[in-house]
Amino acid sequence: MYKAVIIGGSAGSFQVVTKILNALPTHFPMPVLLCLHRLKHVRSGFVEALSIKSSIPVIEPFDKEQLKPGKAYLAPANYHMFLELANRIALSTEEPVNHSRPSIDLSFVTAAHAYRNKIIGIILSGANRDGAYGIKKLHDLGGTTIVQDPEECEVKTMTEASLKLTEVNYVFKTDQIIDFLLKLK
Amino acid sequence: MNSVEIGIVDTRNIIRTIQDVYGYDFSNYALTSLKRRLEKIIEDSSLASADNLNMRLREDKPFFDDFLKDISVETTEMFRDPSLWRTLRDETIPGLMNDNLRFRIWIPVCVSGDELYSLAILLREMDCLHKVEIIASSFCERCIENIKQGVFSEKKYEISAENYRRFQGASEFEQYVKINGKTAVRDTSLLESTSFIRQNIIFDSSPRDVKLILFRNKIIYYNPGWQDKVLQIMHKSLSPKGHLIIGAKEKIRGNALKDYIVMNESENIFKKKFN
Repeated sequence: MYKAVIIGGSAGSFQVVTKILNALPTHFPMPVLLCLHRLKHVRSGFVEALSIKSSIPVIEPFDKEQLKPGKAYLAPANYHMFLELANRIALSTEEPVNHSRPSIDLSFVTAAHAYRNKIIGIILSGANRDGAYGIKKLHDLGGTTIVQDPEECEVKTMTEASLKLTEVNYVFKTDQIIDFLLKLK
Repeated sequence: MNSVEIGIVDTRNIIRTIQDVYGYDFSNYALTSLKRRLEKIIEDSSLASADNLNMRLREDKPFFDDFLKDISVETTEMFRDPSLWRTLRDETIPGLMNDNLRFRIWIPVCVSGDELYSLAILLREMDCLHKVEIIASSFCERCIENIKQGVFSEKKYEISAENYRRFQGASEFEQYVKINGKTAVRDTSLLESTSFIRQNIIFDSSPRDVKLILFRNKIIYYNPGWQDKVLQIMHKSLSPKGHLIIGAKEKIRGNALKDYIVMNESENIFKKKFN
């Protein structure tokens, strides 16, 4: 019944994302959107690093690329990544939000509008409040929301800000997030 | 984030108003980002709702002129993607300079002038600014005015200076952009070879015989069908062997790619085939 998973993270999220991508089955039934804070001027290296242990392909989408199940889409450096209608990615160079481009809020809000109750939003470790508003919006529009247990986070700012703003569906440790995703059909 | 939210129907109504009253057709713009821009405009001008914006647009021409500027998205900073600018300086421009004739460069849909000024700096440092004719086109009169006056956002100064350093320019960034408290201003003598043209949103009367088109991060705001159409217009404007540069994450799709030779894949530099 779900059509997409979206994950937001910043400082301290790399290991967690790697672990999740490693645990997913090769035929994961939906696309995984990744909006992770990254250096603006470094265009290459990140997607390669995430790919090493991932069991599904990780790509940096081109503008208007069509989403496919079983692939992970990483927001490219120095672009916002929106969800456009008809399952397409739309990139944008508009002003940073929360000092961030890509901004997790923007990816989450546009994805929430596109998928309503058919999306799972996950906020991981991070040193910035970006994402807190996004996961609220996703929750309000009927999506399923998960926040990484701040106790487990390398940096708690992002998860704590999210939890303060929204009563999310689940507060999970990494292993529980993985268990949840593995049960999806 | 915007606190105002409008729907797809509101967005379509506004598009229709602009089309009816001013003849600008935004219907081929990608909806998500257009909707976001409209929300931002409604918020920044304290209009509170899409209906109010609609009414204001109908009645207030100067407001519409500002609107055209605010609806356009800037290219974000000067010397964005320093590696592209290095490639331009070290490979592309020298290749185009083969003959000693003056050649034409086109920068469509100028908004902030960041690409224009970056290119002018690069060409001046190569000592060939006087050997080119740059055409900067825009559908936004306010944008052109600002660019001509050298207006630059102080917020973008630091990242642009950093980019310039990574580009390994021959001089210092502050030689071209002076900062004065909260404002920054660019050296307008850099525009010596630039002429500005007002162009409608549908690219009417596009320049011909262009050797280089710098068109980065503009088609991301269009829907796929219009992207293809606009790229056809660019192709028509290029002289044989002319070069087209699009944004790092933009794509020439399908058959259209056959008309080009890929010169640099990571920087998205394409050369028009001879026939």
